[in-house]
Amino acid sequence: MKAFRFLRPRTLAEASEALRREPGAVPKAGGVDLLDRWKERVEEPEVVVGLCDVTDGAALRLEEDGALVLGALATLADLAGSDLVRRFLPALARAADQAASPQIRHRATLGGNLAQATRCGYWRLRSFPCLLRGASRCPVREPGGVQETAGIFANDPCASAHPSSVAPVLGALGAEILVGGGPEGGRGLAFEALWRAPEPGRSDVLALEPGELIRAVRIPPSAHPVRVGHAEVRQRAAFDWPLVTAAVGLTLDADRIREARVWLGSVAPTPHRARAAEAALTGRRLAEVRATFDGRAAAEGATPLPGTAYKAGLVAVAARRALADALERS
Amino acid sequence: MAEDPSVPPARGITRRALFQGAGAAAAARALLGATPAGAEEGPAATPWRTQGPGAVDVALRVNGAERTLRVEPRVTLLEALRLDLDLTGAKPVCDRSQCGACTVWLDGRTVHACSVLAVEAEGREVTTVEGLGQPGRLHPVQRAFVEEDALQCGFCTPGLVMSVAWAVAQHGPGLSEAQVRRACAGNLCRCGTYPHVLKAALKAAGQGG
Ligand SMILES: Cc1cc2nc3c(=O)[nH]c(=O)nc-3n(C[C@H](O)[C@H](O)[C@H](O)COP(=O)(O)OP(=O)(O)OC[C@H]3O[C@@H](n4cnc5c(N)ncnc54)[C@H](O)[C@@H]3O)c2cc1C
Ligand code: FES
Ligand code: FES
Repeated sequence: MKAFRFLRPRTLAEASEALRREPGAVPKAGGVDLLDRWKERVEEPEVVVGLCDVTDGAALRLEEDGALVLGALATLADLAGSDLVRRFLPALARAADQAASPQIRHRATLGGNLAQATRCGYWRLRSFPCLLRGASRCPVREPGGVQETAGIFANDPCASAHPSSVAPVLGALGAEILVGGGPEGGRGLAFEALWRAPEPGRSDVLALEPGELIRAVRIPPSAHPVRVGHAEVRQRAAFDWPLVTAAVGLTLDADRIREARVWLGSVAPTPHRARAAEAALTGRRLAEVRATFDGRAAAEGATPLPGTAYKAGLVAVAARRALADALERS
Repeated sequence: MAEDPSVPPARGITRRALFQGAGAAAAARALLGATPAGAEEGPAATPWRTQGPGAVDVALRVNGAERTLRVEPRVTLLEALRLDLDLTGAKPVCDRSQCGACTVWLDGRTVHACSVLAVEAEGREVTTVEGLGQPGRLHPVQRAFVEEDALQCGFCTPGLVMSVAWAVAQHGPGLSEAQVRRACAGNLCRCGTYPHVLKAALKAAGQGG
């Protein structure tokens, strides 16, 4: 790991200010992802803005209007163990609790989880070429490329996959992201607007302005009942990322689906919204979708590589299970 | 039986000798890379503290005692514990949050010490397997590991002991098998001692560990 200067702001506003004053500085939360990247020398920042002393970033609150605001510095263990989250957002508590391992959940933050980089081995090892790190092509896409964990949607020119298993549940909850932190305050982003599509020569995944941080995730209140379910398909039950995650959020009018949100993880460079599956669910009665939804709509538009053909099938399975989870748990 | 990590290794030509070199390197690093005295707080007019890139003084609370060391911000807690404080219980194996051999407690919760910076542990309580118990006054979990033969090569053992002791502290005598499995999900044992670890965990919990 290359030596760096370590700045220790005490508030989110100070952290943003530090990032603005030090171009190229990197915010560090739990460091679960970043330390690996630095040790492999895939990235070698000279200035790191440590968020370890920030005191105003980890709160989990219920607002007066019924919105839940989850501080970006809350850990996955905080989310899994919070009475508030377990009561109002049980699918999120379960997803946080199933991720990684206890040691990692004690460190990994919500913001860092959403901002984590791809698990693509070409990107993560400096000795391999990678489009995002300046190569002319994505080696995953070439014949002989290691493809198993690659993306199956929006995978040209970069076949990376966003590995968060928490993000799809937040998408299904209709979350918005509060970013900013400077003296001028923050702004709200639609969930999908947090991420950028991959660009050659750029490794950062978020669509933030210089100095901006993820401050919190807001789950807006709903005038109608909402049901959320999620399902992961994993090679190992724990201590690993899922092969595919699916989450389904249903806003109901009695027994009819007013609005459906279907989100997938580990299938595209960013968390992926499965709009065809949403269309297949919207306007239907619960009994009808329970009997007929086979999940295949969630894989519509997939462009798998030879090594990821299996993932389209897994997406359908995961989407079907996520719907069943939503219907079961009420 | 595998080496008890809490027993201070014999002096002389031992594996520690290897690390004396590293210790000297750390000292040299401290001298060469150190920021001039006073410069640690960074250039004027920032409300935040700045550390490094050279070595800085860090006060840690390790196993109940105040320890001051001089480390660069890039030094991990695992490196600082092993090379600067001579606490070699926590093991470096993958150095990538992928095996659990380096598990210690930070403020009473298990973490992979390889993925925490030493400077970040400032002001927080660090507990290593040495702090849990020592020969002669072993922690019930350590004792149960010995009694249940819950180790073979022993490399994963300090980490597993910390995860099991955390589970016992969390759940008490009612600790279930499923809770042990979940608590140890971040610890790999290539010798496959898991069934004995499970027995040891339930035994220690039953004894009010
Ligand atoms: C063995 C293993 C298994 C895992 N399994 C899972 C799993 O099942 N599911 C899952 O979802 N994840 C899993 N993870 C990933 C883990 O959850 C993430 O690495 C972690 O959440 C990252 O959070 P962090 O706080 O440590 O981020 P850091 O490592 O500190 O940062 C990660 C990135 O986020 C940026 N960042 C951090 N905070 C902010 C902020 N507030 N605003 C803007 N940018 C920010 C950083 O600059 C960096 O680019 C696993 C990790 C390991 C090692
Ligand atoms: S050495 Fe830290 S997890 Fe393997
Ligand atoms: S006892 Fe050998 S690795 Fe666990």
